[in-house]
Amino acid sequence: MARGVNKAIIVGTLGQDPEVRYTASGSAVANLSVATNETWKDRQTGEAQERTEWHRIVMFGKLAEIAQQYLKKGSQAYFEGRIQTRKWQDQSGNDRYSTEIVANEMQMLGGRSGGGGGGAPMESGGQSQPRPERETAPIDDGFDDIPF
Amino acid sequence: MARGINKAVIVGTLGRDPEIRYSSQGNAVVNLSVATNEAWKDRETGESQERTEWHRIVIFGKLGEIASQYLKKGSQAYFEGRIKTSKWQDQSGNQRYTTEIVASEMQMLGKRPESTP
Repeated sequence: MARGVNKAIIVGTLGQDPEVRYTASGSAVANLSVATNETWKDRQTGEAQERTEWHRIVMFGKLAEIAQQYLKKGSQAYFEGRIQTRKWQDQSGNDRYSTEIVANEMQMLGGRSGGGGGGAPMESGGQSQPRPERETAPIDDGFDDIPF
Repeated sequence: MARGINKAVIVGTLGRDPEIRYSSQGNAVVNLSVATNEAWKDRETGESQERTEWHRIVIFGKLGEIASQYLKKGSQAYFEGRIKTSKWQDQSGNQRYTTEIVASEMQMLGKRPESTP
C-alpha cells in the first residue's frame, strides 16, 4: 500500500530575514517566517476581509545557504515540502508541538527587493536545488505496518 | 501582487474514527487524525528508517458530514486544503499554537468498507 503523500506548497512573503544556523557537522539550517494572505467577502456585510497566515518554513543544507544569501524580509518565494510536527517540552516539562514545513524546493519570485541598490542580477529560478540530507529518496520496501 | 498560495495535500490513513460536532448554526465540524509515513535509508548503516507524521485535518459543512459518514479508523483518503495555525491559551495563560489543515477537497481511496453506515 501507498505510504501516503505529505506535501505543502506555499507562495508567500518573508516577514523577516532568514535565520540561519549551522549543525555540528557544518550543514546549514534556515528558518523562515512566511506570510500568505487570504481574502474573502463577508456574507452579511459584503465587506472585504483579509487574514494573514504565518508559516514556519525550515530548509537544510545548500538550499538553506541559498535562502540565506538571496532571501530577505519582503522577498517573495515559492516553497514546496512536507509538513512536520515536532514534539518538545517547555520549561514546566509539558509536551508542546510545533508544526513547520520542511522545504526541499524553493524558487525566488518577483523583482529583486531593493536595499542592495539594484544589486547584481541573480538567476536562480530554474536552478535545480540539491535535496537536503534528510530528504534521501524513500525506499519502497513494501512495508505496511502503520502503527494503529 | 499575488496574495500567495497556501496549499497542503495529504494522502494518508485515519488513526481513529472522525470526530464530528456541530456549530451553533448547525454546521458540521469534523476533526480527523491522519497518518503519513516517510521511509528512507540511513546513509551510514544502510538500514531502512521510517517515521510517521500525524496531521490534524478539519473539514466543515457537507464535506465534513460525508467524511464522518464514510471514513473510519484505517480508511485511506486524499485531502487538499490550506494550512491554518490557531492561537489559544492553556490553563496557565500561556500562548499556544495548533496547526491544522482545513480541507476543502476529500476523496476516499482504497476499497469501500464492508459495512457502510
